[in-house]
Amino acid sequence: MKNLPIVTLLLSALLALQACKPDEPIPPVMPPPVTNGTLRITVVPEWEGEPLQRFFEYRNFMNYRTTVELVKFYFGDVRLVNGADSLLVKDVELFDLGNGPSVKEWTVPAGNWSLMHAALGVPAVLNYADPANYGSGHPLSVSNGTFWTWASGYRYVVFEGRYSEDPTSTAPLISAYAIHPGMEPSYFEFDLVPSNGITVTAGNTTDLVITVAVDRFFHSTEFEIDLATENSAHGNNVPLQLKLVNNVVESMTIE
Amino acid sequence: MNRCNELRVDTAEWQDGSALHAPSGAVQLIKRLSYVVLAVLVFSGCRKDPGFPDEERNMPFPLQLPIGFPFPAIPADNPLTTASVELGKALFFDPRLSRDGSVSCASCHLPELAFSDTVALSIGIEGRSGVRNSPSLGNLAYHNAFFRDGGVPTLEQQVIAPIHDPVEMDHDIQAAAAALREVEPYKRLSMLAYGRPFDAWVLSRAIANYERTLISGWSRWDRWVNGDATAMTEAEVRGWQLFSSAELNCTACHGGFDFSDHGFHNIGQYLDYADPGRERISLRPEDFGKFKTPSLRNVARTAPYLHDGMLASLEEVVDHFASGGLPHPNRSPLLQTFVLDAHEKTDLIAFLNALNDERSLDQVP
Repeated sequence: MKNLPIVTLLLSALLALQACKPDEPIPPVMPPPVTNGTLRITVVPEWEGEPLQRFFEYRNFMNYRTTVELVKFYFGDVRLVNGADSLLVKDVELFDLGNGPSVKEWTVPAGNWSLMHAALGVPAVLNYADPANYGSGHPLSVSNGTFWTWASGYRYVVFEGRYSEDPTSTAPLISAYAIHPGMEPSYFEFDLVPSNGITVTAGNTTDLVITVAVDRFFHSTEFEIDLATENSAHGNNVPLQLKLVNNVVESMTIE
Repeated sequence: MNRCNELRVDTAEWQDGSALHAPSGAVQLIKRLSYVVLAVLVFSGCRKDPGFPDEERNMPFPLQLPIGFPFPAIPADNPLTTASVELGKALFFDPRLSRDGSVSCASCHLPELAFSDTVALSIGIEGRSGVRNSPSLGNLAYHNAFFRDGGVPTLEQQVIAPIHDPVEMDHDIQAAAAALREVEPYKRLSMLAYGRPFDAWVLSRAIANYERTLISGWSRWDRWVNGDATAMTEAEVRGWQLFSSAELNCTACHGGFDFSDHGFHNIGQYLDYADPGRERISLRPEDFGKFKTPSLRNVARTAPYLHDGMLASLEEVVDHFASGGLPHPNRSPLLQTFVLDAHEKTDLIAFLNALNDERSLDQVP
């Protein structure tokens, strides 16, 4: 014990002297090569070729006075595809078109792809996850107004507005439509094929513009939606759900 | 003489008498500094976790269970601890979970009524009427699907629904949690229970855990079944015999320790249901008009009855089931008509009263 002070002092001195040794030269570190680019998706809502105006009174294909108040939908399992090759770029993304075009940017490895594959909806593994896990700003946040709190799942599409069957009326639009497809029957996979393919180069941004013709939500080559009798679906009314998801997908073009 | 033997500090000389050339003052300083260094090294490893006294450390909640009740399943990411339950109870009674600060969970789930309500359809924010009768929250820990149509699979997710429902709390769980993030005791209990700042995730977990502690199983019937022959009156015993008889077939759905199979049945309440019930979840036509079998524990306290509170009294309920219900296509085949005289009806209802807990469902001090 008497020697303890000396020992401690010597140890401390030894440590201090070690620190005084001159540093060995550090070899220069080369930055890693850039291999990723940015894929920027812009989804643009239109009505008959013009930018969609929320709350504006349009005439739909049946000449109903029609407004659009909410347009939101999920893209799930978004992939870039080239032949047998497939690259997952986003598990789920929410596009809210209520205030005009919606832009998302995803980091993607450089490469050449022929098409984008996705689903209109939320993949099952995420659809029944606990939304409390996702904070504000996440596509699956409960704050987005897309979660069915009573059914533990998400509305794949939120399409709402008002209408009147009488084209001559000038009264305020009172009748509402609210079509919310969701759950497995409405999960709808599709491909979007740009004419020039999709090329992502390292360190650069590649733009893809998806135009959504909202007026075509009511009618497509296969299905027509008559708001007078088909104006409500909240997980139920599966036939109407299927019509809408089909029409939404068919309304999209990419360039 | 070995110079490594003792150094006599007072004379600063080796034992052999040879002098040590260091001055005595410097030796004293070195000695003191070295002790300081040593003390720092030794005691730096003993620092306690900051902020939480030992007696408040997060312990498993001492859940009391009636005889014969299994221990309920607890999610791995939400262990049942004292801090989480205390946090959940505080939140359960906090009206700040609603948009205007007027409605708490307890507003529609009154503790003195086995956490049910007094009205057919509960009143939410700004006097808005709900769409279904508030069920009792007893024994939720044993359920595997929540709400009357079983649409939600976990208690944690169930918490979100009333907060967001426009006719209940009309709020956003993220916003509600953000507003309470720095409020005590939520701030302290959140860190203690979950090791993270208070947020929507903590909010849902804590309330779920509090709900898990609401156990019902201390009725006079329970005492009677467990050997106390004096726990029920003769009328109540006769009522139990009627209830469990093949003729009435009540136990086909209202059996087990919770007096419920937790399944979904159409009891022929209407020929034309306004509420689709289970069909809203399953999308199967054969589920239209089916609702989850409620427990009959504390049933005498939870009037009015059925998914929309249509029946005001137990007498009306007995009459409905005695009639076999209306011939809806999805009516359960388990329903069968029966006839009770006035005395038998009184006995049956007396038994149902004997299912009231003799203590509060709330175990949290």
